Amino acid sequence: MKNKIIYSTLCALISACPSFATTVIPLSVESLTAISSHVVEGRAVSSWTQWNATHTVIFTYTKFQVQRTLKGEAAATVVVRQLGGTLDGTTEKVAGVRQWKIGERALLFLRPGEIRDGSLVVTGLMQGNFLIYRGPTGEDVVSNGAPNVSAYKAGTAPITTYSGSAMRLQEMEGRIQKAVQR
Amino acid sequence: MKPKWIAIGSPLALLAIALILVVPAYSYLPMGTGSGATFTDSTWPQPPAWVINPAVSGANISGTPADVTSVMQASFATWMGAPDTHVVATFAGTSTATGPQTTENLVCFTCGGVDFSQDGTLAITLINFDGSGNIINANIMFNPNASTGGTSGQPICFTTGDSKTICPTNNSVQEDMGTVATHEIGHFFGLDHSAIVDAIMFPFAPPFLHTLSYDDVAAISLLYPDPNPAVPTGSISGKVTLNNTGVFGAHVFADSNTSANPFSGFALIRKTPIGALTFPDGSYLITGLPPDTYVVTAEPLDGPVNDPNVSWALEWGQPAVQTNFTTRWH
Repeated sequence: MKNKIIYSTLCALISACPSFATTVIPLSVESLTAISSHVVEGRAVSSWTQWNATHTVIFTYTKFQVQRTLKGEAAATVVVRQLGGTLDGTTEKVAGVRQWKIGERALLFLRPGEIRDGSLVVTGLMQGNFLIYRGPTGEDVVSNGAPNVSAYKAGTAPITTYSGSAMRLQEMEGRIQKAVQR
Repeated sequence: MKPKWIAIGSPLALLAIALILVVPAYSYLPMGTGSGATFTDSTWPQPPAWVINPAVSGANISGTPADVTSVMQASFATWMGAPDTHVVATFAGTSTATGPQTTENLVCFTCGGVDFSQDGTLAITLINFDGSGNIINANIMFNPNASTGGTSGQPICFTTGDSKTICPTNNSVQEDMGTVATHEIGHFFGLDHSAIVDAIMFPFAPPFLHTLSYDDVAAISLLYPDPNPAVPTGSISGKVTLNNTGVFGAHVFADSNTSANPFSGFALIRKTPIGALTFPDGSYLITGLPPDTYVVTAEPLDGPVNDPNVSWALEWGQPAVQTNFTTRWH
Protein backbone atom coordinates (compact mmCIF):
# COMPACT_ATOMS: atom_id res chain seq x y z
CA MET A 1 0.00 0.00 0.00
CA LYS A 2 2.77 2.39 0.96
CA ASN A 3 4.55 1.65 -2.28
CA LYS A 4 1.40 2.46 -4.24
CA ILE A 5 0.87 5.74 -2.43
CA ILE A 6 4.48 6.77 -3.04
CA TYR A 7 4.22 5.80 -6.67
CA SER A 8 1.03 7.74 -7.21
CA THR A 9 2.59 10.81 -5.67
CA LEU A 10 5.75 10.36 -7.66
CA CYS A 11 3.99 10.16 -10.98
CA ALA A 12 1.72 13.04 -10.10
CA LEU A 13 4.75 15.24 -9.52
CA ILE A 14 6.70 14.38 -12.62
CA SER A 15 5.69 14.66 -16.20
CA ALA A 16 6.78 11.23 -17.32
CA CYS A 17 8.30 8.13 -15.78
CA PRO A 18 10.69 6.41 -18.18
CA SER A 19 10.69 2.66 -18.06
CA PHE A 20 13.30 0.06 -18.71
CA ALA A 21 14.28 -3.37 -19.92
CA THR A 22 12.29 -4.18 -22.97
CA THR A 23 10.63 -0.83 -23.30
CA VAL A 24 7.81 -0.14 -25.68
CA ILE A 25 5.40 2.60 -26.56
CA PRO A 26 1.83 1.35 -26.46
CA LEU A 27 0.30 1.17 -29.93
CA SER A 28 -3.41 1.23 -30.64
CA VAL A 29 -5.05 -1.36 -32.87
CA GLU A 30 -5.41 1.37 -35.48
CA SER A 31 -1.71 2.28 -35.31
CA LEU A 32 -0.70 -1.36 -35.44
CA THR A 33 -2.87 -1.81 -38.51
CA ALA A 34 -1.46 1.27 -40.21
CA ILE A 35 2.20 0.33 -39.81
CA SER A 36 1.81 -3.40 -40.49
CA SER A 37 2.03 -4.83 -43.98
CA HIS A 38 0.01 -7.89 -43.02
CA VAL A 39 -2.68 -8.65 -40.45
CA VAL A 40 -3.71 -12.31 -40.28
CA GLU A 41 -5.37 -14.84 -38.06
CA GLY A 42 -3.72 -18.23 -37.99
CA ARG A 43 -2.73 -21.32 -36.10
CA ALA A 44 0.87 -22.25 -35.29
CA VAL A 45 1.68 -25.53 -37.04
CA SER A 46 5.45 -25.83 -36.71
CA SER A 47 8.49 -23.99 -35.37
CA TRP A 48 12.25 -24.17 -35.46
CA THR A 49 15.20 -22.20 -34.19
CA GLN A 50 18.07 -20.92 -36.23
CA TRP A 51 21.13 -18.75 -35.79
CA ASN A 52 21.38 -15.65 -37.92
CA ALA A 53 23.93 -15.59 -40.71
CA THR A 54 26.72 -14.40 -38.42
CA HIS A 55 25.87 -16.94 -35.71
CA THR A 56 25.28 -14.21 -33.15
CA VAL A 57 21.52 -14.17 -32.61
CA ILE A 58 19.06 -17.05 -32.15
CA PHE A 59 15.74 -16.65 -33.91
CA THR A 60 12.66 -18.80 -33.51
CA TYR A 61 10.65 -19.25 -36.69
CA THR A 62 7.00 -20.26 -36.43
CA LYS A 63 4.86 -21.29 -39.38
CA PHE A 64 1.21 -20.28 -39.20
CA GLN A 65 -1.59 -21.74 -41.22
CA VAL A 66 -3.52 -18.63 -42.23
CA GLN A 67 -7.21 -18.79 -41.41
CA ARG A 68 -8.15 -15.23 -42.26
CA THR A 69 -6.37 -12.28 -43.83
CA LEU A 70 -7.41 -8.83 -42.66
CA LYS A 71 -4.71 -6.79 -44.37
CA GLY A 72 -2.22 -7.56 -47.12
CA GLU A 73 -1.87 -10.51 -49.45
CA ALA A 74 -1.03 -13.52 -47.34
CA ALA A 75 -0.34 -17.01 -48.64
CA ALA A 76 -1.86 -20.12 -47.10
CA THR A 77 0.97 -20.08 -44.59
CA VAL A 78 3.22 -17.35 -43.20
CA VAL A 79 6.47 -17.74 -41.30
CA VAL A 80 7.03 -15.39 -38.38
CA ARG A 81 10.50 -14.78 -36.95
CA GLN A 82 11.12 -13.74 -33.34
CA LEU A 83 14.22 -13.04 -31.26
CA GLY A 84 15.21 -15.75 -28.81
CA GLY A 85 15.05 -19.50 -28.46
CA THR A 86 17.19 -22.47 -27.53
CA LEU A 87 19.76 -23.95 -29.89
CA ASP A 88 23.09 -25.77 -29.50
CA GLY A 89 22.88 -25.64 -25.72
CA THR A 90 22.32 -21.89 -25.61
CA THR A 91 19.11 -20.23 -24.55
CA GLU A 92 18.58 -16.65 -25.64
CA LYS A 93 15.95 -14.55 -23.92
CA VAL A 94 14.55 -11.13 -24.64
CA ALA A 95 12.09 -9.79 -22.10
CA GLY A 96 8.60 -9.66 -23.47
CA VAL A 97 9.08 -11.88 -26.49
CA ARG A 98 6.70 -14.80 -26.20
CA GLN A 99 7.15 -17.82 -28.44
CA TRP A 100 4.09 -19.75 -29.60
CA LYS A 101 3.19 -23.31 -28.81
CA ILE A 102 2.10 -25.55 -31.67
CA GLY A 103 -1.66 -25.38 -32.02
CA GLU A 104 -2.04 -21.90 -30.57
CA ARG A 105 -4.15 -19.43 -32.50
CA ALA A 106 -3.06 -15.85 -32.90
CA LEU A 107 -4.07 -12.62 -34.56
CA LEU A 108 -0.83 -11.18 -35.86
CA PHE A 109 0.23 -7.71 -36.98
CA LEU A 110 3.27 -8.31 -39.15
CA ARG A 111 5.84 -6.43 -41.19
CA PRO A 112 9.04 -7.33 -43.05
CA GLY A 113 12.13 -7.50 -40.85
CA GLU A 114 15.76 -6.73 -41.56
CA ILE A 115 16.43 -10.26 -42.85
CA ARG A 116 14.78 -10.77 -46.21
CA ASP A 117 14.30 -14.52 -46.01
CA GLY A 118 10.58 -14.55 -46.65
CA SER A 119 9.68 -14.40 -42.99
CA LEU A 120 7.82 -11.57 -41.29
CA VAL A 121 8.31 -10.08 -37.82
CA VAL A 122 5.75 -8.98 -35.26
CA THR A 123 5.06 -5.25 -35.33
CA GLY A 124 6.10 -3.50 -32.15
CA LEU A 125 8.35 -6.34 -30.95
CA MET A 126 5.50 -8.17 -29.21
CA GLN A 127 2.59 -5.76 -29.27
CA GLY A 128 1.27 -7.12 -32.55
CA ASN A 129 1.02 -10.65 -31.18
CA PHE A 130 -2.51 -11.32 -29.92
CA LEU A 131 -3.23 -14.82 -28.73
CA ILE A 132 -6.76 -16.01 -29.51
CA TYR A 133 -8.47 -18.01 -26.82
CA ARG A 134 -11.97 -18.94 -25.76
CA GLY A 135 -13.33 -16.52 -23.17
CA PRO A 136 -15.55 -17.36 -20.21
CA THR A 137 -18.69 -16.57 -22.21
CA GLY A 138 -17.69 -18.87 -25.06
CA GLU A 139 -16.62 -16.08 -27.40
CA ASP A 140 -13.16 -15.84 -28.88
CA VAL A 141 -11.02 -13.27 -27.07
CA VAL A 142 -7.63 -11.84 -28.04
CA SER A 143 -4.85 -10.61 -25.77
CA ASN A 144 -1.30 -9.46 -26.30
CA GLY A 145 -0.21 -9.53 -22.66
CA ALA A 146 3.48 -10.26 -22.46
CA PRO A 147 5.81 -10.64 -19.50
CA ASN A 148 8.37 -8.14 -18.38
CA VAL A 149 7.32 -5.28 -20.57
CA SER A 150 6.93 -1.70 -19.54
CA ALA A 151 5.15 1.02 -21.41
CA TYR A 152 6.00 4.64 -21.93
CA LYS A 153 3.60 7.36 -22.91
CA ALA A 154 5.09 10.62 -24.03
CA GLY A 155 3.88 14.00 -22.89
CA THR A 156 2.08 14.41 -19.63
CA ALA A 157 0.98 10.86 -19.11
CA PRO A 158 3.05 8.82 -16.66
CA ILE A 159 4.44 5.43 -17.41
CA THR A 160 1.82 2.78 -17.24
CA THR A 161 2.23 -0.93 -16.94
CA TYR A 162 2.06 -2.62 -20.29
CA SER A 163 -0.35 -5.41 -19.59
CA GLY A 164 -1.35 -5.66 -23.20
CA SER A 165 -4.82 -5.38 -24.62
CA ALA A 166 -7.62 -7.87 -24.35
CA MET A 167 -10.92 -7.69 -26.26
CA ARG A 168 -13.38 -9.83 -28.14
CA LEU A 169 -12.01 -11.11 -31.43
CA GLN A 170 -15.06 -9.81 -33.26
CA GLU A 171 -14.48 -6.31 -31.90
CA MET A 172 -10.83 -6.46 -32.86
CA GLU A 173 -11.66 -7.56 -36.40
CA GLY A 174 -14.10 -4.69 -36.76
CA ARG A 175 -11.54 -2.12 -35.66
CA ILE A 176 -8.95 -3.54 -38.04
CA GLN A 177 -11.36 -3.49 -40.98
CA LYS A 178 -12.25 0.14 -40.29
CA ALA A 179 -8.59 1.06 -40.04
CA VAL A 180 -7.81 -0.66 -43.33
CA GLN A 181 -10.59 1.25 -45.10
CA ARG A 182 -9.25 4.65 -44.04
CA MET B 1 -12.85 -12.09 -6.82
CA LYS B 2 -13.62 -10.51 -3.49
CA PRO B 3 -10.45 -9.44 -1.68
CA LYS B 4 -9.67 -11.26 1.53
CA TRP B 5 -7.35 -10.63 4.41
CA ILE B 6 -4.33 -12.83 4.61
CA ALA B 7 -2.02 -13.92 7.34
CA ILE B 8 1.70 -13.23 7.39
CA GLY B 9 4.17 -15.40 9.20
CA SER B 10 7.02 -13.72 11.10
CA PRO B 11 5.42 -10.30 11.30
CA LEU B 12 8.03 -8.13 13.03
CA ALA B 13 11.66 -8.89 13.27
CA LEU B 14 15.11 -7.58 14.02
CA LEU B 15 18.30 -8.24 12.19
CA ALA B 16 19.16 -11.79 11.28
CA ILE B 17 16.13 -13.42 12.85
CA ALA B 18 14.64 -16.16 10.75
CA LEU B 19 11.39 -16.77 12.52
CA ILE B 20 9.91 -19.53 10.45
CA LEU B 21 12.06 -22.10 8.74
CA VAL B 22 10.58 -22.70 5.35
CA VAL B 23 11.77 -23.11 1.81
CA PRO B 24 13.32 -19.73 1.08
CA ALA B 25 12.48 -17.26 -1.62
CA TYR B 26 14.69 -14.29 -2.42
CA SER B 27 14.75 -10.66 -1.46
CA TYR B 28 14.71 -9.53 -5.07
CA LEU B 29 13.65 -10.90 -8.40
CA PRO B 30 16.50 -12.77 -10.01
CA MET B 31 16.56 -14.24 -13.46
CA GLY B 32 16.57 -18.01 -13.30
CA THR B 33 14.43 -21.09 -13.14
CA GLY B 34 12.19 -22.38 -10.38
CA SER B 35 11.41 -26.04 -10.01
CA GLY B 36 9.88 -27.86 -7.08
CA ALA B 37 11.18 -26.03 -4.04
CA THR B 38 14.36 -24.72 -5.61
CA PHE B 39 15.12 -21.58 -7.56
CA THR B 40 18.34 -21.49 -9.53
CA ASP B 41 19.81 -18.04 -10.09
CA SER B 42 21.34 -17.07 -13.39
CA THR B 43 24.64 -15.27 -12.85
CA TRP B 44 27.96 -14.76 -14.57
CA PRO B 45 30.29 -17.58 -13.47
CA GLN B 46 33.29 -15.37 -14.28
CA PRO B 47 33.52 -11.57 -14.31
CA PRO B 48 32.48 -10.49 -17.79
CA ALA B 49 34.21 -7.96 -19.99
CA TRP B 50 32.12 -5.56 -22.02
CA VAL B 51 32.82 -3.52 -25.10
CA ILE B 52 31.09 -0.59 -26.67
CA ASN B 53 30.47 0.53 -30.20
CA PRO B 54 30.33 4.22 -29.36
CA ALA B 55 29.10 5.36 -32.74
CA VAL B 56 26.18 7.75 -32.50
CA SER B 57 26.00 8.98 -36.06
CA GLY B 58 22.48 8.50 -37.34
CA ALA B 59 21.09 7.85 -33.86
CA ASN B 60 18.83 10.30 -32.07
CA ILE B 61 21.32 10.87 -29.25
CA SER B 62 22.46 14.14 -27.71
CA GLY B 63 26.14 13.50 -27.16
CA THR B 64 29.37 12.24 -28.66
CA PRO B 65 30.95 8.78 -28.72
CA ALA B 66 33.00 9.85 -25.72
CA ASP B 67 29.84 10.93 -23.92
CA VAL B 68 28.02 7.64 -24.39
CA THR B 69 31.12 5.70 -23.37
CA SER B 70 31.38 7.79 -20.24
CA VAL B 71 27.72 7.20 -19.42
CA MET B 72 28.09 3.44 -19.72
CA GLN B 73 31.31 3.34 -17.69
CA ALA B 74 29.72 5.40 -14.94
CA SER B 75 26.65 3.17 -14.93
CA PHE B 76 28.71 -0.01 -14.57
CA ALA B 77 30.77 1.69 -11.85
CA THR B 78 27.60 2.43 -9.90
CA TRP B 79 26.93 -1.29 -9.50
CA MET B 80 30.56 -2.23 -8.87
CA GLY B 81 30.82 0.38 -6.15
CA ALA B 82 27.86 -0.92 -4.18
CA PRO B 83 28.52 -2.10 -0.61
CA ASP B 84 28.64 -5.78 0.33
CA THR B 85 29.10 -6.95 -3.23
CA HIS B 86 31.98 -8.04 -5.35
CA VAL B 87 30.49 -7.68 -8.79
CA VAL B 88 32.90 -6.95 -11.58
CA ALA B 89 32.59 -6.17 -15.27
CA THR B 90 35.68 -5.02 -17.08
CA PHE B 91 35.62 -2.39 -19.77
CA ALA B 92 37.48 -3.90 -22.70
CA GLY B 93 37.38 -0.97 -25.06
CA THR B 94 35.61 -0.27 -28.27
CA SER B 95 34.16 -2.54 -30.89
CA THR B 96 33.16 -2.00 -34.47
CA ALA B 97 30.41 -4.62 -34.27
CA THR B 98 27.15 -3.51 -35.80
CA GLY B 99 24.91 -6.15 -34.27
CA PRO B 100 24.65 -8.44 -31.22
CA GLN B 101 27.68 -10.62 -30.57
CA THR B 102 28.29 -13.96 -28.88
CA THR B 103 32.02 -13.54 -28.40
CA GLU B 104 31.82 -10.15 -26.73
CA ASN B 105 29.30 -8.38 -24.55
CA LEU B 106 28.34 -5.40 -26.61
CA VAL B 107 26.71 -2.10 -25.81
CA CYS B 108 25.55 -0.41 -28.99
CA PHE B 109 23.52 2.60 -30.01
CA THR B 110 23.43 2.18 -33.78
CA CYS B 111 23.25 -1.56 -34.18
CA GLY B 112 20.95 -3.57 -36.40
CA GLY B 113 20.13 -7.24 -36.47
CA VAL B 114 17.32 -7.09 -33.93
CA ASP B 115 14.58 -5.74 -36.17
CA PHE B 116 14.38 -2.33 -34.59
CA SER B 117 11.99 0.04 -36.26
CA GLN B 118 10.23 3.26 -35.37
CA ASP B 119 7.45 1.32 -33.73
CA GLY B 120 7.99 2.17 -30.12
CA THR B 121 10.76 -0.12 -28.88
CA LEU B 122 13.39 1.90 -26.99
CA ALA B 123 15.94 -0.71 -25.98
CA ILE B 124 16.37 -4.42 -25.50
CA THR B 125 18.86 -6.61 -23.68
CA LEU B 126 19.55 -10.02 -25.17
CA ILE B 127 20.92 -12.49 -22.66
CA ASN B 128 22.32 -15.91 -23.49
CA PHE B 129 22.34 -18.72 -20.94
CA ASP B 130 24.07 -22.08 -21.01
CA GLY B 131 22.36 -25.34 -20.14
CA SER B 132 23.00 -24.77 -16.45
CA GLY B 133 21.43 -21.35 -16.47
CA ASN B 134 24.69 -19.42 -16.28
CA ILE B 135 24.84 -16.16 -18.16
CA ILE B 136 27.38 -16.56 -20.93
CA ASN B 137 26.77 -13.46 -23.02
CA ALA B 138 24.71 -10.28 -23.03
CA ASN B 139 24.13 -7.42 -25.42
CA ILE B 140 22.51 -4.11 -24.57
CA MET B 141 20.98 -2.54 -27.66
CA PHE B 142 19.54 0.97 -27.68
CA ASN B 143 17.11 1.75 -30.48
CA PRO B 144 18.85 4.50 -32.45
CA ASN B 145 15.61 5.90 -33.77
CA ALA B 146 12.88 5.09 -31.31
CA SER B 147 9.63 6.95 -31.43
CA THR B 148 6.56 7.21 -29.31
CA GLY B 149 4.84 4.94 -31.79
CA GLY B 150 1.93 5.12 -34.15
CA THR B 151 1.81 6.90 -37.44
CA SER B 152 2.35 10.35 -35.95
CA GLY B 153 4.61 9.48 -33.05
CA GLN B 154 7.31 11.79 -31.70
CA PRO B 155 10.98 10.80 -31.92
CA ILE B 156 12.71 9.86 -28.66
CA CYS B 157 16.17 11.25 -27.97
CA PHE B 158 18.68 9.88 -25.43
CA THR B 159 20.48 12.64 -23.54
CA THR B 160 23.92 12.14 -21.97
CA GLY B 161 24.34 15.01 -19.51
CA ASP B 162 23.06 18.30 -18.18
CA SER B 163 24.38 20.22 -21.17
CA LYS B 164 23.79 17.45 -23.66
CA THR B 165 20.19 18.11 -24.46
CA ILE B 166 20.28 19.34 -28.05
CA CYS B 167 18.83 16.46 -29.98
CA PRO B 168 19.56 15.67 -33.62
CA THR B 169 15.87 15.33 -34.33
CA ASN B 170 13.54 18.21 -33.67
CA ASN B 171 10.50 17.81 -31.45
CA SER B 172 12.08 14.90 -29.59
CA VAL B 173 10.94 13.50 -26.28
CA GLN B 174 14.07 13.35 -24.10
CA GLU B 175 15.20 10.31 -22.14
CA ASP B 176 18.27 10.26 -19.85
CA MET B 177 20.61 7.56 -21.12
CA GLY B 178 22.31 6.97 -17.76
CA THR B 179 19.02 6.22 -16.09
CA VAL B 180 18.20 3.55 -18.64
CA ALA B 181 21.78 2.26 -18.68
CA THR B 182 21.99 1.76 -14.90
CA HIS B 183 18.78 -0.23 -14.97
CA GLU B 184 19.82 -2.26 -18.02
CA ILE B 185 23.12 -3.16 -16.40
CA GLY B 186 21.17 -4.61 -13.50
CA HIS B 187 19.64 -6.98 -16.03
CA PHE B 188 23.10 -7.57 -17.51
CA PHE B 189 24.20 -8.90 -14.11
CA GLY B 190 21.13 -11.17 -13.80
CA LEU B 191 18.51 -9.09 -12.03
CA ASP B 192 14.84 -8.97 -12.95
CA HIS B 193 12.56 -6.13 -11.94
CA SER B 194 11.88 -5.11 -8.34
CA ALA B 195 8.53 -4.03 -6.96
CA ILE B 196 10.19 -1.50 -4.60
CA VAL B 197 9.26 1.92 -5.95
CA ASP B 198 12.61 3.65 -5.37
CA ALA B 199 14.79 0.78 -6.55
CA ILE B 200 16.75 1.26 -9.75
CA MET B 201 15.31 -2.10 -10.82
CA PHE B 202 11.77 -0.82 -10.43
CA PRO B 203 10.30 -0.99 -13.93
CA PHE B 204 9.28 2.66 -13.91
CA ALA B 205 11.55 5.47 -12.83
CA PRO B 206 11.76 9.23 -12.70
CA PRO B 207 13.52 10.97 -15.56
CA PHE B 208 16.86 10.93 -13.75
CA LEU B 209 18.03 8.21 -11.35
CA HIS B 210 21.62 6.96 -11.24
CA THR B 211 21.94 5.68 -7.66
CA LEU B 212 21.12 2.35 -6.06
CA SER B 213 18.69 1.67 -3.26
CA TYR B 214 18.96 -0.69 -0.29
CA ASP B 215 16.84 -3.12 -2.31
CA ASP B 216 19.27 -3.04 -5.24
CA VAL B 217 22.20 -3.56 -2.87
CA ALA B 218 20.47 -6.55 -1.30
CA ALA B 219 19.92 -8.02 -4.74
CA ILE B 220 23.39 -7.59 -6.19
CA SER B 221 25.14 -8.53 -2.96
CA LEU B 222 23.28 -11.81 -2.79
CA LEU B 223 24.15 -12.72 -6.37
CA TYR B 224 27.77 -11.59 -6.05
CA PRO B 225 28.56 -11.37 -2.33
CA ASP B 226 31.61 -9.66 -0.89
CA PRO B 227 33.31 -12.20 1.39
CA ASN B 228 34.14 -9.32 3.72
CA PRO B 229 31.02 -7.15 3.67
CA ALA B 230 31.34 -3.58 4.86
CA VAL B 231 27.96 -3.80 6.56
CA PRO B 232 26.94 -7.27 7.77
CA THR B 233 23.33 -8.06 7.00
CA GLY B 234 20.66 -10.52 8.05
CA SER B 235 17.36 -11.86 6.85
CA ILE B 236 13.67 -12.25 7.65
CA SER B 237 11.68 -15.26 6.52
CA GLY B 238 8.10 -16.34 6.81
CA LYS B 239 5.04 -17.52 4.98
CA VAL B 240 2.02 -15.77 3.48
CA THR B 241 -1.18 -17.76 3.60
CA LEU B 242 -4.79 -17.30 2.57
CA ASN B 243 -7.31 -19.69 4.10
CA ASN B 244 -4.38 -21.77 5.32
CA THR B 245 -2.98 -22.12 1.82
CA GLY B 246 0.28 -20.54 0.68
CA VAL B 247 -0.02 -17.46 -1.54
CA PHE B 248 2.22 -17.47 -4.60
CA GLY B 249 3.81 -14.23 -5.80
CA ALA B 250 2.78 -11.95 -2.93
CA HIS B 251 5.04 -8.91 -2.65
CA VAL B 252 6.53 -8.90 0.85
CA PHE B 253 8.82 -6.09 1.92
CA ALA B 254 10.66 -5.05 5.08
CA ASP B 255 10.52 -1.32 5.80
CA SER B 256 12.63 0.31 8.48
CA ASN B 257 10.67 2.21 11.12
CA THR B 258 13.72 4.10 12.40
CA SER B 259 15.90 6.89 11.10
CA ALA B 260 18.99 4.70 11.12
CA ASN B 261 21.06 4.65 7.97
CA PRO B 262 23.37 1.63 8.18
CA PHE B 263 24.80 2.32 4.72
CA SER B 264 25.54 5.96 5.55
CA GLY B 265 29.19 5.38 4.70
CA PHE B 266 28.10 5.00 1.08
CA ALA B 267 26.81 8.39 0.07
CA LEU B 268 24.97 7.33 -3.04
CA ILE B 269 22.95 4.48 -1.53
CA ARG B 270 19.33 5.45 -0.86
CA LYS B 271 17.42 3.97 2.06
CA THR B 272 14.37 2.03 0.87
CA PRO B 273 12.40 -1.04 1.85
CA ILE B 274 13.79 -4.38 0.71
CA GLY B 275 11.33 -6.73 -0.90
CA ALA B 276 10.66 -10.26 -2.08
CA LEU B 277 8.02 -12.29 -3.87
CA THR B 278 6.75 -15.48 -2.28
CA PHE B 279 7.43 -18.98 -3.56
CA PRO B 280 4.60 -21.23 -4.77
CA ASP B 281 4.12 -22.49 -1.19
CA GLY B 282 3.79 -18.93 0.14
CA SER B 283 7.18 -18.82 1.84
CA TYR B 284 9.57 -15.91 1.53
CA LEU B 285 13.05 -14.87 2.59
CA ILE B 286 14.10 -11.23 2.64
CA THR B 287 17.88 -11.07 2.73
CA GLY B 288 20.45 -8.28 2.70
CA LEU B 289 18.85 -6.45 5.62
CA PRO B 290 21.28 -4.18 7.47
CA PRO B 291 20.93 -3.83 11.27
CA ASP B 292 17.65 -2.03 11.97
CA THR B 293 14.05 -2.60 13.08
CA TYR B 294 11.53 -3.45 10.39
CA VAL B 295 7.83 -3.63 9.68
CA VAL B 296 6.98 -6.44 7.27
CA THR B 297 4.16 -5.91 4.80
CA ALA B 298 2.55 -8.26 2.29
CA GLU B 299 0.65 -6.82 -0.64
CA PRO B 300 -0.72 -8.16 -3.92
CA LEU B 301 1.44 -7.51 -6.96
CA ASP B 302 -1.34 -5.57 -8.64
CA GLY B 303 0.22 -2.20 -9.29
CA PRO B 304 2.26 -0.23 -9.94
CA VAL B 305 4.23 -3.40 -10.69
CA ASN B 306 2.02 -6.14 -12.07
CA ASP B 307 2.50 -9.76 -12.96
CA PRO B 308 3.32 -8.96 -16.60
CA ASN B 309 6.26 -6.81 -15.47
CA VAL B 310 8.16 -9.73 -14.00
CA SER B 311 8.95 -13.27 -15.06
CA TRP B 312 8.37 -14.82 -11.65
CA ALA B 313 5.25 -16.77 -12.66
CA LEU B 314 6.78 -17.96 -15.91
CA GLU B 315 9.95 -19.08 -14.19
CA TRP B 316 7.92 -21.14 -11.75
CA GLY B 317 5.62 -22.54 -14.40
CA GLN B 318 2.64 -20.83 -12.79
CA PRO B 319 -0.13 -19.12 -14.78
CA ALA B 320 0.14 -15.88 -12.76
CA VAL B 321 0.92 -14.48 -9.32
CA GLN B 322 -1.93 -14.48 -6.81
CA THR B 323 -3.55 -11.11 -6.13
CA ASN B 324 -6.89 -11.99 -4.53
CA PHE B 325 -6.09 -10.49 -1.14
CA THR B 326 -5.55 -7.12 0.49
CA THR B 327 -2.47 -5.56 2.02
CA ARG B 328 -1.51 -6.61 5.55
CA TRP B 329 1.41 -5.54 7.70
CA HIS B 330 2.85 -6.30 11.13
